[in-house]
Amino acid sequence: MVDGCLVWTAFFAPLIACLLITFFLLKNKNLSSLVAIAGILTSFVCSCLIFSQIFQASPPAQLQQSLPWIHFDNFAINFGFLMNPLAIMMLLIVTGVGSAIFIYSRGYMDEDPSSPRFFAYLSLFAFSMIGIVLSDNLIQLFIFWELVGLSSYLLIGFWYFKPSAADAGVKAFLVNRLSDFGFLTGIILLWSVSDIGAGRSFQFTDLVPVISHIDPSLLTGIALLLFCGVMGKSAQVPLHVWLIDAMEGPTPVSALIHAATMVAAGIYLLARLFFIFEPSTTAMIIIAYVGAITSLMAAILAVAENDIKRILAYSTLSQLGLMVMALGLGGPMQGMYHLTTHAFFKALLFLGAGSVIYGMHHEQDIWKMQGLWKKMPITGWTFFIGTLALSGIWPLSGFWSKDAILALAFEHNPVLYVIAAIASGLTAFYMGRLFFVVFWGDTSPGRRKGDHHHEVHESPWVMTLPLIFLAILSAIGGFIGIPQYIFPDQAPEQLNMKVAIISSIVAVVGLSFAFILYGKRSATDPLIKMLGGFYNVLKSKFYFDDVYAWYVDHVQQNIALAMEKVEKSLLDSLILGELVHLSRIAGRGLRYLQNGLVQRYAMVFIFGAIILFVVLSQNL
Amino acid sequence: MMSLGSYLMVSGIIFSIGLVGVTTSRNVLKVLLSLELLLAASNLSFVAFSKFNGDYAGQLIVFFVILVAAAEVAIGLAIVVLMYRRISTISADDLKEMKW
Amino acid sequence: MSEFFFYLFAAVLILASLSVVLARNPLYNVLSLVVAIFSLSCLFVLLEAFFVGMILLLVYAGAVLVFFLFVVMCLDLKTIALTTSQQNRYGWLGWIVGLSFVSLFYLGTQSFIKAQTLGVSSIRGTIENIGQILFTDYLLPFELTSLLLLIAIFGIVSLAQGVLSSGKEVDT
Repeated sequence: MVDGCLVWTAFFAPLIACLLITFFLLKNKNLSSLVAIAGILTSFVCSCLIFSQIFQASPPAQLQQSLPWIHFDNFAINFGFLMNPLAIMMLLIVTGVGSAIFIYSRGYMDEDPSSPRFFAYLSLFAFSMIGIVLSDNLIQLFIFWELVGLSSYLLIGFWYFKPSAADAGVKAFLVNRLSDFGFLTGIILLWSVSDIGAGRSFQFTDLVPVISHIDPSLLTGIALLLFCGVMGKSAQVPLHVWLIDAMEGPTPVSALIHAATMVAAGIYLLARLFFIFEPSTTAMIIIAYVGAITSLMAAILAVAENDIKRILAYSTLSQLGLMVMALGLGGPMQGMYHLTTHAFFKALLFLGAGSVIYGMHHEQDIWKMQGLWKKMPITGWTFFIGTLALSGIWPLSGFWSKDAILALAFEHNPVLYVIAAIASGLTAFYMGRLFFVVFWGDTSPGRRKGDHHHEVHESPWVMTLPLIFLAILSAIGGFIGIPQYIFPDQAPEQLNMKVAIISSIVAVVGLSFAFILYGKRSATDPLIKMLGGFYNVLKSKFYFDDVYAWYVDHVQQNIALAMEKVEKSLLDSLILGELVHLSRIAGRGLRYLQNGLVQRYAMVFIFGAIILFVVLSQNL
Repeated sequence: MMSLGSYLMVSGIIFSIGLVGVTTSRNVLKVLLSLELLLAASNLSFVAFSKFNGDYAGQLIVFFVILVAAAEVAIGLAIVVLMYRRISTISADDLKEMKW
Repeated sequence: MSEFFFYLFAAVLILASLSVVLARNPLYNVLSLVVAIFSLSCLFVLLEAFFVGMILLLVYAGAVLVFFLFVVMCLDLKTIALTTSQQNRYGWLGWIVGLSFVSLFYLGTQSFIKAQTLGVSSIRGTIENIGQILFTDYLLPFELTSLLLLIAIFGIVSLAQGVLSSGKEVDT
């Protein structure tokens, strides 16, 4: 039996931490980080307990608790949670990886003067994310969806005095807002047709039987609108532009939000609401293709990036594309499996990058780093494990999950399989590029001016311990049987040997190619010469940002200016102007009654008295 | 012997004349004089009622009214003198400080 | 016989009050009021209110109006311009007020006017009778009026202080 109290505790612990920090601890760097860590660890411990409770029972237990919140007429919103195996697995990821990152942040942000604010925002984010995971109805989900977007904005723009960071925060929020518009439209549309006798509802459990009664084309529309939300939150093409700039935030933020959890919320949504998407084959195909295109495009763009965090951001995009594709192909289990393992090694990679940045005193260009393996061994080893996991090398966790997706694609849609395979190959290539440029080579100083090499050292244990923890998870993640926990009623997948071999070969080829190009360091990236003009296209990210900027500048601004002109001329001068005119005239007229002559006042007074007498005496 | 009504009518006429004087005079002295007319008119009706109702109270009231009127006139004239000393005119039009 | 005197004194009274309001020369105003008070006093005598009639003459015409005359003589009233002021543009309004009041009064007292046979009482306002009432039933108001007069004196003295103490520098 699942204990509801544990769920509520896990739900609200980070919120309490956030409130405590906001109201009492904003000046206290030490305590604020401890309170935040305590909050997330509480949630993690509760999640572990709930996990054991769920899986002690067979079949695994499930719990839903719901409190009525807004009820009137035909409209009901509740506040509650739906705890089932899918939810608990996601919750474990969020709180587990989250705890590691919170602890890591204590070390990473210790030099920053406003770190209490950081931990308040982090706790707020944790609360919002847990809210998404646990919600049992669409409106509550949407509320927490927006809250997560808000937390993301706050955290990306944490160093708000840097214009690029502030802009990046706004960009993330705006793109999310755009996608949420479609999302909300979909939610309302679904709700409005959800009446099959028991009234309309937002609850997931109530909506399951409704789906079969909905007209198929309408269902496709709803599914695609809901997918809009996924596109924004999980950064699918064409709404992917915010994720790259989101790297302006501190590295723990990138690790937590933009690798492991928030961007995965879209995938989680697809899995949680899979019963809505599954019946609509059109929507599923579109979803799968969007995922595949995203995956490939991101992988191509990653090849030309020079900022360590941006490379990892593109790789996140690419993996998210793979997950979306998996769900589009009808494999929520595969998608969630990859989400779990991806959380492990992507967080690991980001934290490792953070460790590198910290050690290099906030340098982020990989061409300014070299041979860090010897200076930062723990970081180096863990980063290596993460790279291999991401590239899909046996027996690390990434191999198993990526393979599951590739097998799914191979069986259902060969075109998508090819795209995914190419993307995986490129993944191996650019990750190898990253690893060899940063960690390989000799450390002889003086090769370039302004080297920090002699000052580089390993990061403190608060930062390396989470790295080791995540590296272990990345390594053994394939063997602990994650899929069975997520979807206990599905039979375990068998390994498809053909696919496994092909993907392993592709990965190894990619890594070797990277070693050939980058094993021996040269001054600049040899890729520039190889790709020639195409390199510039890559550098400007396929011109997505430019297109959007042109639209905003030329189309949207002009519409806004025209509206303003209409308002000024119509409302202001016509309506308001006339009102002002009228009151001026009235004032000028009434002024003559007040002329300061007391006798005049007396006369008026007497006149009034006479009239009053006349009126009153009518009755007599 | 005249009826009560005629005395009251005379009183009413005097009162109206006094009203006109109070509200339209430019000269503040004239205003005070008209005020006296008002008081005189009411005195007349008091006495008339006293005679026709057989109650001395009316005449006693007139006695007190005359006394109070005397005091009031004294103070009013003192104010007029002060006003003259201040703005060198006793035209009521010049007392416009309550104007907008 | 008494009707003739009534009409006579009433006419004088009304004409004198009109003169108070309409005359240009302020001296005429004051003197007209004296005439009006005289005729009023005669009307009182007609109503057998001898005591108040005499008091009216002694106090009003004798003291108050003489005071008025003093002030009129004191102030240099030639400087008042006789141009049409903002007030007199609406002077006719005042007359309308007056006329409406009179008509209202007439309407209100019609019943009294028509009752020609309203009984006349036999009281006579002689000094003895008034004195009897004044010093027994109405003693308290009588004493309080002396207090009132004292306060009035205080007021006037304090108002006049500014004039007296500053002497010739009061001219602003």
